[in-house]
Amino acid sequence: MSNQKKRNFQIEAFKHRVVVDPKYAEKTWSILEHAIHEIYNHNASGLSFEELYRNAYNMVLHKFGEKLYSGLVATMTAHLKEISKSIEAAQGDLFLEELNRKWNDHNKALQMIRDILMYMDRTYIPNTHKTPVHELGLNLWRDNVIHSSKIQSRLLSMLLELVHRERTGEVIDRGLMRNIIKMLMDLGSSVYQEDFEKPFLEVSAEFYMGESQKFIECCDCGDYLKKAELRLNEEIERVTHYLDVKSEVKITNVVEKEMIANHMMRLVHMENSGLVNMLLDDKYEDLGRMYNLFRRVPNGLSTIRDVMTSHLREIGKQLVTDAEKLRDPVEFVQRLLDEKDKYDSIISQAFSNDKTFQNALNSSFEYFINLNNRSPEFISLYVDDKLRKGLKGVSEEDVEIILDKVMMLFRYLQEKDVFEKYYKQHLAKRLLSGKTVSDDAERSLIVKLKTECGYQFTSKLEGMFTDMKTSQDTMQGFYASHPELTDGPTLVVQVLTTGSWPTQPSITCNLPAEMSALCEKFRSYYLGTHTGRRLSWQTNMGTADIKATFGKGQKHELNVSTYQMCVLMLFNNADRLSYKEVEQATGIPASDLKRCLQSMACVKGKNVLRKEPMSKDIGEDDAFFVNDKFTSKFYKVKIGTVVAQKESEPEKQETRQRVEEDRKPQIEAAIVRIMKSRRVLDHNNIIAEVTKQLQSRFLANPTEIKKRIESLIERDFLERDNNDRKLYRYLA
Amino acid sequence: MKRKDTVKLISADEMEFIIDKDAAMVSQTIGGFAEMELGEVTFPEISAVILEKICQYFYWALQYSRGKETEFHIEPELTLELMMAPNYLHT
Repeated sequence: MSNQKKRNFQIEAFKHRVVVDPKYAEKTWSILEHAIHEIYNHNASGLSFEELYRNAYNMVLHKFGEKLYSGLVATMTAHLKEISKSIEAAQGDLFLEELNRKWNDHNKALQMIRDILMYMDRTYIPNTHKTPVHELGLNLWRDNVIHSSKIQSRLLSMLLELVHRERTGEVIDRGLMRNIIKMLMDLGSSVYQEDFEKPFLEVSAEFYMGESQKFIECCDCGDYLKKAELRLNEEIERVTHYLDVKSEVKITNVVEKEMIANHMMRLVHMENSGLVNMLLDDKYEDLGRMYNLFRRVPNGLSTIRDVMTSHLREIGKQLVTDAEKLRDPVEFVQRLLDEKDKYDSIISQAFSNDKTFQNALNSSFEYFINLNNRSPEFISLYVDDKLRKGLKGVSEEDVEIILDKVMMLFRYLQEKDVFEKYYKQHLAKRLLSGKTVSDDAERSLIVKLKTECGYQFTSKLEGMFTDMKTSQDTMQGFYASHPELTDGPTLVVQVLTTGSWPTQPSITCNLPAEMSALCEKFRSYYLGTHTGRRLSWQTNMGTADIKATFGKGQKHELNVSTYQMCVLMLFNNADRLSYKEVEQATGIPASDLKRCLQSMACVKGKNVLRKEPMSKDIGEDDAFFVNDKFTSKFYKVKIGTVVAQKESEPEKQETRQRVEEDRKPQIEAAIVRIMKSRRVLDHNNIIAEVTKQLQSRFLANPTEIKKRIESLIERDFLERDNNDRKLYRYLA
Repeated sequence: MKRKDTVKLISADEMEFIIDKDAAMVSQTIGGFAEMELGEVTFPEISAVILEKICQYFYWALQYSRGKETEFHIEPELTLELMMAPNYLHT
């Protein structure tokens, strides 16, 4: 370089340069051409790169860039054509190997050429907007080798052949595949897509269409899904090993479509192995697999969900309408809980706790539990059974778990106020007969109900507990102030606040003399400490423990109801009593008396009385004696429980009627509340709002709401608008 | 300082300059050459004076890139010839 500079000051230099020019370019180019040949013939080591670089530099500098470039193109093209021929000549499987080898050679050569021609790359090419050397090399390869007619189709079919072989279980040379595919990717994404990916996807679709058809004919649902999953994983693995990452989504879509989406309904409804069977048999693994596979296709999960929901509703409906099952309420509720548990674990284990499935489960349960209008009563009976004896010996945590499950069922109920009514009744009986297993469990359930429904729901229930506690204290006070009574019969009084406890009409019977005296003493004691209150004895709810000695001297302690005690005490003063005499002496109402006598005279093992005649029913003319031959294995005998039972038809009607009556004021209160804030509202909106407000307690009947509105209009709480009959206005 | 991490640049008048490979890599061209020619490159058209300055430049470029911002002084007589080198070497 510096030589030339010095020459600039001499005229000779110019001449020198002009003479050199035409030959110079040729000479320089032939040096470079020769070099390119050598490079392609793996003889690069003998070249001096500095020299070649300099030559290229000079050519460009002296404005022979054009010649250099076109020369490059021509030379490379010629070489590539030769290479192409040698690849075509390769036989069978060696074809791909030869292609791969030549590709590697080409890349190395290209690298060297690029280095040599770097100056051109950096100056001439950007100025003329020609393709840079490296890209040029790739394009020439693509055009002369890959897209040569003899090679293009052969390449594609070989690649697809290898994929197919691998799919049928053969082992193929994955490294080679990877290199070839990478070559296609390097040549440009359109080359990869057009020359490989598109045909690959088409062929794969056909393959899987055939596969799925074959499998679905011979496999059951579980097996088919296993196979589908296998194939899916296989394709994903194939992509990681030798395909472009972007192909993963495309090929998985193909598999999903052919193997899953196209056969979805058939799989789900497959006889003996479809979704319903899996649910029934708790096949967690199969269900999980189905969930994961179906999740990938549109509408997959909703299909599963819909089938599950309709199946659940079906068995639920069967459960609540099956008369057999309804015979024992406790068992009925247990079945419900078991079913819920089963599906909870299916959803958590197989459906990965999917919220939409949980919702479907909840709505199904809500649907069929409310199909049977005795559900509230039965659930309360279940709780009653548990709190009486079912929870004996169970740990605290387990108790909580059971109660929480019950609360879950409670939430599904639409008529929560019916449940409240029954629960109150059953709780009263439990408390009064002292038959509750655990006080803590009772209180825990009350707290849960309070959290769910608010203070109002549980205030009366809590009042009942308070009364029990207060009564204990009162009794202590009573006996403390009357020490002389400790020898006689022991009296235990529960003082019940009228509003809190379920009301029963009370007809007092005639107590035996010893008891009535004691009762009077208590009454005066109580009224002495609490002025302004009124006490009335509820003899239909009490119990008594009496010691009895029978004919052969056998002693027993009998646990009986108050009525039964009154009857038995009569026999202290008489050996034989007729029905009428008993009725008159005790003053017990007829139906209760009959039941009472029946339980003492007609029940085996509890027949402390003897009846003449020995018929099962109590007739007005029957006579009663103490059964001197009474025997029992136990010292303490329990007769006549006041246990909560499933209600008889008439009782049920009565309760329901009371519930309906209670609802009326609640509806009215809701209407007034709403109208007070809105002032003016039309009919449909009132119905909607009222229903919404009362939803947490019961499902309000629109007809009933209408009736209540009419009633309120009559009582001047509301008025109808003069112009629009459907509009109501609040009257302050 | 291993032998392998160095590169030898030889000027037109057969002066040899041994520099670190890192320094040589400042010029991509030389870096490429050095790979090929097993660590030795001859520049039959660049004089020793210029080549020396070029080597100095390499080291200065390294320092500058590491945060030491100083000035690179060029003697005025050298400038004209010095300008051709980077064009050739792409530095």
